[in-house]
Amino acid sequence: MSLNFILRNTATIIERESVVSTASPVKTTAVSAQGVWKAYGSGEAQVVALRDVSVEFSSGAFTAIMGPSGSGKSTLMHCLAGLDTTDRGTVAIGGTTITGLGDKALTKLRRDKIGFIFQQFNLLPTLTAEENITLPAAIAGTKADPEWLRRIIDVLNLRDRLGHKPTELSGGQQQRVACARALASRPEVVFADEPTGNLDTRSSAEVLRFLRTSVDDFGQTIVMVTHDPNAAAYADRVVFLADGQIVDDLPAPTADAVIDKMRGFEKLAYDLGGIA
Amino acid sequence: MLRATLKGMAARKARLALTSLAVVLGSAFIAAALVLTASIEATVNDLSGDSYDGVDVLVQPLEPETRGERLVREGVTAETLAAVEDVDGVASTSTTVSWMINAIGENGKIVGALAPTMAVNWSDESAARELREGREPSADGEVAVSAKFVTDSGLGLGDTVTAYSLTTDQTEYEIVGVYGYAGGRDSNNGNTELAFTTAEAQRLVFEGQDVYSAVAVHAAVGVDADELLAEVEAVVGAEAQVITKAEYDEETSAETAEATSLIGNFLLGFGGVAVFVSVFLIANTFTIVIAGRLKEIAMMRAIGAGRDQIVRSVLTEALVLGSIGAVVGTAVGIGGGAALTSAASNFMLDTADVAVSVPITAVIAALAVGIGVTILSALVPAVRASRIPPVEAMREAAKADKPITGLTVTGAVLTLIGAALIALGLTENLGEQNLLGAGVGAGLVFIGVTLLTAWLARPLVAALGLLWSGSFAGRLGRRNAARNPRRTAVTAAALMIGVALVTATATLLTSVKASLSQVYEDTVAAELFVTGPVTSAVPASFDPALMDEIRGVDGVEAAAELYYDVADIDGTEQRVNASTDLTGVVELFGGEVAEGSIADLAGDEIAMNATAASSVGVAVGDTVAVTFSRGTEAHEFTVAAILEDNENTDGWYVSPAYAEEFYTPKPTTALVDVVDGGDVDAVASEVETILADEPTVSVQNHEEFTAQVTVFYDFAIIAIQLLLGLAMVVAVIGVINTLVLSVLERTRELGMLRAIGMTRGQTTRMVTVESVTIALFGALLGIGVGLGLGWALQQALAETGVDVFAVPTWLIIGYLAAAVLVGLLAAIAPAVRASKVDILGAIAYD
Repeated sequence: MSLNFILRNTATIIERESVVSTASPVKTTAVSAQGVWKAYGSGEAQVVALRDVSVEFSSGAFTAIMGPSGSGKSTLMHCLAGLDTTDRGTVAIGGTTITGLGDKALTKLRRDKIGFIFQQFNLLPTLTAEENITLPAAIAGTKADPEWLRRIIDVLNLRDRLGHKPTELSGGQQQRVACARALASRPEVVFADEPTGNLDTRSSAEVLRFLRTSVDDFGQTIVMVTHDPNAAAYADRVVFLADGQIVDDLPAPTADAVIDKMRGFEKLAYDLGGIA
Repeated sequence: MLRATLKGMAARKARLALTSLAVVLGSAFIAAALVLTASIEATVNDLSGDSYDGVDVLVQPLEPETRGERLVREGVTAETLAAVEDVDGVASTSTTVSWMINAIGENGKIVGALAPTMAVNWSDESAARELREGREPSADGEVAVSAKFVTDSGLGLGDTVTAYSLTTDQTEYEIVGVYGYAGGRDSNNGNTELAFTTAEAQRLVFEGQDVYSAVAVHAAVGVDADELLAEVEAVVGAEAQVITKAEYDEETSAETAEATSLIGNFLLGFGGVAVFVSVFLIANTFTIVIAGRLKEIAMMRAIGAGRDQIVRSVLTEALVLGSIGAVVGTAVGIGGGAALTSAASNFMLDTADVAVSVPITAVIAALAVGIGVTILSALVPAVRASRIPPVEAMREAAKADKPITGLTVTGAVLTLIGAALIALGLTENLGEQNLLGAGVGAGLVFIGVTLLTAWLARPLVAALGLLWSGSFAGRLGRRNAARNPRRTAVTAAALMIGVALVTATATLLTSVKASLSQVYEDTVAAELFVTGPVTSAVPASFDPALMDEIRGVDGVEAAAELYYDVADIDGTEQRVNASTDLTGVVELFGGEVAEGSIADLAGDEIAMNATAASSVGVAVGDTVAVTFSRGTEAHEFTVAAILEDNENTDGWYVSPAYAEEFYTPKPTTALVDVVDGGDVDAVASEVETILADEPTVSVQNHEEFTAQVTVFYDFAIIAIQLLLGLAMVVAVIGVINTLVLSVLERTRELGMLRAIGMTRGQTTRMVTVESVTIALFGALLGIGVGLGLGWALQQALAETGVDVFAVPTWLIIGYLAAAVLVGLLAAIAPAVRASKVDILGAIAYD
């Protein structure tokens, strides 16, 4: 373990601890899943992605979902975000059950209640940074709160990049624009799918710090899928998924604790595979 | 590598199908055009072969039967016929009398407005006629009619039909028989026909002289055609010309070839446009397909494939695709050409026996164009793709567009050179090559503007986008249309070319119409014209005795009738007019006498306008020799007056005493001047009553008269809209291609938009706006270029009288509407595809 790595983790932990103290003490449930099952394919080729998953995400909290490849973490997020349907069980966002809603209602729900941050940034190349940020409002035919926009743009340090097209921005800047877009409409919950997967260490830290800040200062709820223990260490809580089931729940995680847990699951999976 | 290429193609069936479609269309149009031309020629040849079947030698009048639009009265005389019959080698003869006449249908109107009505003599061998009902005409008051006449006139067996020629009064005939032609046809070349006894036919056609239009001669057994020809020629001498059946067939074939070459050129023009447009379509599709595969190509390069292997792989794909498309296209084209031939033959020739001919050149040309264009189109993108460093292409990031400076500069230079050539050509600064220069210039402008489309795309599309800036989906769609200027440009160019061609033609024709109207409006003092359709085979005419009745109508200030002929003056063909009131005619037409006097021209005096005078090179006091259409000898005239040049008073003027020798011995037109403040409509309806028994003429005001004079241009304008229709079909496919491929490319983007809350409806609208914007962009460019070229053509023809530049406003609005329709139609499939994009698949990362 290099000195650099230790220093960075230490810094991360100190920073996290310094902000945790300001977190809101009132916890209600923002997103919940009850007995969710999800399978793909049929017959011999059937893969069960989620097996009876029940989990709740508190509002105003930053939760990371972790697990090895194929553990079902992305499927869980898609089901929670109304991008995919469940086979059994129910999902609720902010007290509204979304299971069984039609495409129109789901689309509207995603538009008004959910923010997304993707690994691939997914900005529209034809729009400027500012237009990308206000995209959800434009789709809804409304206008984003200018005071709020000003605030997140300043926090993300995007003020002098607003007129640029995505092609003129670095990867880190593009992902910051994506973060601003996710938060622009003050959604009930922001789902981040491997938000640092395509970024260098410095840009990753910037993005994660922003997510942390938005939870601490703005009371935003964030659910992040990641396989990076360092990223997970920014969260208030880590939910571990393996083989479609929740296998562990770690509050106040540190990178080392997360790495230990992950090693355990991987070893377990390897041993199981060896036996089978 | 070949295996990988073919497997890759199989995996991309949708793209393959779309690209092939472009090749199929291009090949199909060429094959169809060539097959149609060849087949119509073959069909017409078959038909003309039918007439005079089994005849060996033909005796014809010395002169061909028409000279300009004049009837030449020479026929084969009865004496010549008798002499021919006495020749040893002659077994039998049959005679033909044939010319155009007027017949009045059940509705009181002249039958056959488009194809002529012919009067012929019924003879036993007459041109493969087959009696269907009744019997042949055996008395002068009887007639047998062709089946098409029954259809067109509404009259049938047992009815009475009124018919008359230029030289006879209206006569009633009893229909005693109805006939068709060999092969079950209802008509010969679309004509309607009435068969009379030989004597009655001669009365109608040859003013009762015992002469014939042709004599067909059958050789006796053992005499060959050449021997017979010599024998017949010996007795006929200088009285008539004698030709063998083979020579006759050759002559008719040559005439047919001339007639069909017009149709053929028209169709090849269509084929040319189709190919030109298809080139864009194929090249564009290939560029897009390869752009979509950059990643895959980079991967191949990364694992060790050489540049040449990449190029070869792409070219192999082009060869396979081009071959499939070209073969299918050629087959479709041959089928389409055969179907078109059948439709055209039934419409134009009334023949069910269609000789479909597939020339080998049609197959070769269609295949060569399909395969060649595909490979050439693929070459540039293939080489470009092979030069991209593998790492760059594999990187997943939005890439900036390639600069279009090179295209723009080349386009601008070509456009300027083209414009300069047009200007030089129009101002006749290119010596012998004026027309060629202007033509090449127009071609260069086309190519230049096509290259400039990419540069024009951004500002124009942005301006168009203001139309739908109200909706967010509209704004996104507009930006998508402007996002890849090259692609938008090439897609729009396909539409631009078609629209430009028709706009240019329509603009020119509209200008011609407007110029004509202008002349009438400005100069003609008469409010009403009595005249007939200019398209009718037999010139419209009326009884001159009616003029006094017209002059007597309340509110008529003055009225003058006009006789018309094309005469031979000092060896040149000239238009000649005559009237009992020449002064009145010139005044009503707004003409001015420059020198001398036209009042009361004496029998041997003639007047003409300045142009006509200089064309023959005469001045007042000189003499000219004039032979009228029906004149048997030349008359000497002294020039009494010269008129100032004026469109309406063009030509020569003589005393009406010579009208008897005119092709139409009765007046063809009358000018009616209504008193100032008089009720023009009331006068018109009274004059109409006076003309009730004259089926060929009617009363027309300026507007109606102009419309009638310019009716030909209306037909032409309609015909060129077909060209547009063709270009539109190709353009729709081009736009679909571009959109489908764009949607494929932007799957991730669409998934993201749907994920963050864009509805299906908004997605559909976004794609539709992109489609309509591209189509409108193409149409606008086409209208711009077309108006420019139309203006250049009008300027070129200004000296010949086309001095008004008129914009076909309604047609242009129509083109824009059609472009919107193209956009909407093209958007359907891509928009549905975009709205159904699988969100999870689209946003998932590898």
